[in-house]
Amino acid sequence: MTGPLYLFDAFSFTTSLALAVAVGFMFGFVLERAGFGDARTIVSIFYFRDMRVLRVMFSAIVTAMVGLIVLSWVGLFDYSVLVEYALLPTYLWPQLVGGILFGIGFILGGYCPGTSVVAITSGRIDALVFLGGMVAGIWVFAAGFPIWGWFYKSSALGRITLWQAFGLSAEVVALAVLLMALAAFFLAGLGEKWAPYDKAGN
Amino acid sequence: MNENDYAKGLWNPYVAGIALGLVLLLTFYLMGTGLGASGAVSRTAAVVGHAVVPEAVEQNGYFGSFYKGGKNPLVDWMVFEVIGVFIGGLIAAMTGGRMKLTVAKGPHVSSGRRLAMALGGGVIAGIGTRFAMGCTSGQALSGGATLALGSWVFMMAVFAAAFIFAIVIRREWV
Repeated sequence: MTGPLYLFDAFSFTTSLALAVAVGFMFGFVLERAGFGDARTIVSIFYFRDMRVLRVMFSAIVTAMVGLIVLSWVGLFDYSVLVEYALLPTYLWPQLVGGILFGIGFILGGYCPGTSVVAITSGRIDALVFLGGMVAGIWVFAAGFPIWGWFYKSSALGRITLWQAFGLSAEVVALAVLLMALAAFFLAGLGEKWAPYDKAGN
Repeated sequence: MNENDYAKGLWNPYVAGIALGLVLLLTFYLMGTGLGASGAVSRTAAVVGHAVVPEAVEQNGYFGSFYKGGKNPLVDWMVFEVIGVFIGGLIAAMTGGRMKLTVAKGPHVSSGRRLAMALGGGVIAGIGTRFAMGCTSGQALSGGATLALGSWVFMMAVFAAAFIFAIVIRREWV
């Protein structure tokens, strides 16, 4: 059957919720096994110690990216439906500013939303506090919505992919991402050897 | 490098990454959308707020849409997915022997200081997820794999900001 199944009305909303729990289960299980249940593992990439989180992240992106393209080659996936109806829309400036804020919160707090859930199940008290902080942060965002709501919806470019933005084919961009990931894996190994924070004087 | 307690028995990172990628691929094949997390936190924030000030939340420019037409914000795909994440993480931590009631912190800071940082980091990250309409799961991982332009802008901004700010606060972690 050609995917995405739900967008072709292959099953009901109720069924989709059951599937949500099932894929969530797998997601959470793999995240924990990957080492995302402890802030020290996560932040160690920013100090060039254990680059495991970067390796996991980029190999996951590449696997899913290549998988979607291969599935669409063999006719099992309709990529145009995804791009037209489900791709995350781009809001250039809000996503840049949001990314900077998120990056600062990430290194300060030691978690991101998904990993904090997994870390809570692993008994990490700091993760529970981080999650509480996020709830409070979202209240701040909602309370200030009359002030920055205009910005939140600004520079809307719609559902646009990298290959459309650069006028290339999906395969060429995917190949570039694959090469970038391989370069990142290589640099990660060099970074671990460099280990600038673990030398004398730190 | 020396292996730490909290990192004992983890999967090879490339094996874990491919497994994670296959779960993500399955999700796209089934749903057309990927995995996420911050959307569920956002709906939780709305519901908790609603218990205290229902009218203010329903009339809020951001939270209001969760309640439009008498909807329950928690009847949502991502909320159910995160319930699955919780159960999956719990079983993995239990069976992996990494479940421990503790504060994960750098070697030279107190637990109180670490918790204050976690709270402050959570507030800033929470605000960030709303402007970016997603987090590392929804934007970086899922948007990244589908090559969405804004997701890559987000991902680059996150890593650049975190690597730079990591230098400033290195005493917290190193």
